[in-house]
Amino acid sequence: MKKQPIPPRWADWLLEVFVAPPLREDVQGDLHEVFYKRTEQEGLSKARREFIWAVLHYINPYFFKARQRTNRQSDYPSPSYLHPAMLRNYLTIALRTLAHNKAYSIINVVGLSIGLAAAMLIILYTKDEVSYDRFHTNNPNLYRITSRDITPGDQKPSYNTNTGIFQGPKFTAGTPEIQSFVRFQSGQSDIRQGNEVKSQEMFSTDPEFFQLFSFPLLSGDPKTALSRPKTVVISEDMAEKQFGTTDALGKIMFIKTEAQFEPYTVTGVAVKCPQNSSIKFDVLLPITVSKEDIARSDNWFSFFLNTFVLVRPNANIKAVEATMNRIYQTDAKNTILEMAKKFGIKSKTIYSLQPLTEMHLSTDLPVNNGLVDESRPTFSYILSGIALFVLLIACINFVNLTVARSLKRAKEIGVRKVVGGGRNQLIIQFLGESFLLCFVAFVLAIVLLLLVLPTFNQLANKALSFAYLLDVKLIAGYIGLFLVTGLLAGFYPAIVLSGFSPVQSLYSRFRFAGRNYLQRGLIVLQFSLASFLIVATLTINSQLNYLTTKSLGYDDRNLVAVNKSSLNHSEARLLKSELMKFPTIVDVAPKNRGFWGTVAKVNGEKQLSFAYETVDEMYLPLLKIPILAGRNFSPDFPSDSTQSVLVNESFVKEAGWKNPIGQEVNFFAYEIPERYKVIGVVKDYHFAALNQKIRPQLFTMKPKNDFGKAFVKIKPHTETESLRAIEQTFKKLFPINPYSYSFLDQDNLKKYESEAKWRQIMLFGAILTIFISCIGLLGLATLAAERRTKEIGIRKVLGASVSSIVQLLSSDFLRLVGFSFVLAFPAAYFAIDKWLENYPYRIEISAWTFALAALLAILIAFFTVSFQSIRAAMSNPVKSLRSE
Amino acid sequence: MENAFLGSIRRILCLAGDLFCKITTNRLNQFTTMRRAFLGEFEEIVLLVVAACPAEAYGVTIWEDLQQQTGRSITMSAVHATLYRLEEKGFLSSTMGGATAERGGRRKRFFTLTALGVRALNDVQQVRSRLWQAIPPGKFQLIGG
Repeated sequence: MKKQPIPPRWADWLLEVFVAPPLREDVQGDLHEVFYKRTEQEGLSKARREFIWAVLHYINPYFFKARQRTNRQSDYPSPSYLHPAMLRNYLTIALRTLAHNKAYSIINVVGLSIGLAAAMLIILYTKDEVSYDRFHTNNPNLYRITSRDITPGDQKPSYNTNTGIFQGPKFTAGTPEIQSFVRFQSGQSDIRQGNEVKSQEMFSTDPEFFQLFSFPLLSGDPKTALSRPKTVVISEDMAEKQFGTTDALGKIMFIKTEAQFEPYTVTGVAVKCPQNSSIKFDVLLPITVSKEDIARSDNWFSFFLNTFVLVRPNANIKAVEATMNRIYQTDAKNTILEMAKKFGIKSKTIYSLQPLTEMHLSTDLPVNNGLVDESRPTFSYILSGIALFVLLIACINFVNLTVARSLKRAKEIGVRKVVGGGRNQLIIQFLGESFLLCFVAFVLAIVLLLLVLPTFNQLANKALSFAYLLDVKLIAGYIGLFLVTGLLAGFYPAIVLSGFSPVQSLYSRFRFAGRNYLQRGLIVLQFSLASFLIVATLTINSQLNYLTTKSLGYDDRNLVAVNKSSLNHSEARLLKSELMKFPTIVDVAPKNRGFWGTVAKVNGEKQLSFAYETVDEMYLPLLKIPILAGRNFSPDFPSDSTQSVLVNESFVKEAGWKNPIGQEVNFFAYEIPERYKVIGVVKDYHFAALNQKIRPQLFTMKPKNDFGKAFVKIKPHTETESLRAIEQTFKKLFPINPYSYSFLDQDNLKKYESEAKWRQIMLFGAILTIFISCIGLLGLATLAAERRTKEIGIRKVLGASVSSIVQLLSSDFLRLVGFSFVLAFPAAYFAIDKWLENYPYRIEISAWTFALAALLAILIAFFTVSFQSIRAAMSNPVKSLRSE
Repeated sequence: MENAFLGSIRRILCLAGDLFCKITTNRLNQFTTMRRAFLGEFEEIVLLVVAACPAEAYGVTIWEDLQQQTGRSITMSAVHATLYRLEEKGFLSSTMGGATAERGGRRKRFFTLTALGVRALNDVQQVRSRLWQAIPPGKFQLIGG
């Protein structure tokens, strides 16, 4: 039969759009009839032109408006799509189909509920992240004063989130838009608790603290609580700990802020700080600034606390910032010049305001110095990415399985169409089914969420709970998630299934050929995501292994670090001689606490910044750090402590020395410059965490520098006795100092906690994606095997072996999994390379990682598929061929 | 006297009849009667073509006949619009035919004259013939038409 010419599709479509439904059929029919006639008379092209011309005349309001055609009743009344009887039928059929195909229903529901639970969890997480500091009623007018230093010629400014004692009061005094300020300084002080002395973090702040921030007080007056010296506001937890009751108003606490314990009166007990607050305090003291400090204008350059300001509503922040900088430039003019001369500082400081609510997730201006729960938006992004992956894969499963299974429902669709079911009705039916499944999954997901929340909290270092985040927005978000998932999973199948031709589907010659591309594409996508996550997990794992097992350049085993603030040299000697009396103690070496950094000149003019370590002669041998050239400090040379220093290799390299021994280091920044001679070079060791490069380091024995802690080397396996000995000695020697100890090797491991957490989260995500991908694959493999039952039977009858049939059934899927690597690996390579750039000491990306990931994915997929294909291959051909 | 009385009664009956007529038409043509109770020229021709059609009349046949009879080129949309309008006015009625093979299975809409349509045509015819008869004989020859 000759193929019939057809009128231009677009014109036909135009007609359908512009002619109202009651007129559409006959108008379109008439036009088509004329078109066919004219085609025969005048040829196709003329007929087409005329058709288009005719159609264009129908574009007018008369045809567009579906007129109420009064004197013509519709031949058959068209009932609503959502007729109750039909709805009941849909529900019955849906439940029946679900019950008949238990395996698919379970796969779909489990997959979707895992995906939904993951997405819900991440919504909860991100909601918590963005809710930080939003509970203050003074938002959005609360800001933190920050600054950036711009050095000429340097592209990136260096940011500073801290301020000193001046910025708050001086900016507030000079800027009418700033209503008030609060300085917030963190510190560590000793408090007496019963008979014990404890070191406690406490914060010094201005009296307006409770006016600026919305921290309610259980008792006490928020206006005056911190207005007098020697007063203290404590949290309810602290009150409970200190006094055994929250009714602590007027009670006395002994705190050692300066040299000795002094009595502080409790003037307020605060409700526990909310979980989503960057400010979390247990003890608040009024800030004290000495007259001398106020007089010294170089305090403009001393940054050690956070300053918050309350700006008038609707103030122009740019203008306020400009005023602040003007005040700084005039008030600190002399100091800026002086500093520039003394230290050669070329950079320019520019102050700006950071909204309080942006603090928590800021990358450039993070929270620190007493503010807690620093976070990065990256965390949220990565977590959201994983959750989306999981949800997407679950939806893909749904689409794949529904479309693949539709073969079985083709007859139902055909019959529905023959008895007059419209396409829209079918779409509604199938969408409804997917929403039904989605709803079951949704309920399951909530149960799942409640179950895994504690574990997740531990992983993500959070205290999330439904209770404090549950609000209209969250519920709306979850309902939105449910709708989106239902639509995402159900839309495509609904369109495809409702498009079946009833003739073909009832004629039983229905082949499902062309659409396999989509199914295959989706499998490839699924396994791409899964193998991407496998690669990421493997890489994080090996980087973490590398970080934790790499030799640090010193021996951290059996080393106990004991903290003692301002441990002077004679105390250190005393501690050592006392400790050495115990047989289990090998040796003792004191050192300064934390990282000190300073600047000195070498080679006459060159300035070098470096880590400044105060040690004694035992430190290097105790940690087994080798000396490459020269010698260690020695008691044989009494002048060592005042004239000599040791430096590390990086220092030598940076200074550009060929013969480091005997070189001079000039500490020019002191009032009286001090000069030292280098007597030895120490091999580079990782004194900081491995995610930092080894910096130049200098060792001194300068007697004026106090130590901060002592390393005690103990004999192996004597922890109990040694620790007891150390504690006894410490308490005897320093009864008023808090005692705390830690093992150095454990401390070192703690530095990689965040990496360890990420490994866990990635592992979790990878396992989830693989699991969901696999159950999807299992479902498809089952269907494929089912569809080919007869083929397998015939093959077996003709003598095919089990292994050849397994191969036949598996190879299709495995090829797809293999193909997914082509997509996943370049992306994974790029991503992990970017991630590893954060680490100066990193593993090389090896082909083995990818090979292992590929092997893993293939094995898992093979195992999944063969589960089904072996069963199909083993089945008795008689059974599959018997019925026809 | 009696004559006058009968005359007035007849007039009242006539008015009532007219009113009744109007009400029925009104009910039939809810929207358009008040505006257009008369037949336009094109409408009249379309109505006549439908009446003259020997077989069942539908869009295409009417369109073709119209062009043939008038010698004018007419767009299909104009024909369709007029047919539907006449149907709304109650001069035509339509039924859908059975499925067809030649036009993609789409059904045809067949139009037939209603009683109202017949009366309207008759009225027009009467007005015309009355007017024709009123033309004084020999006038056309005078003008030379």
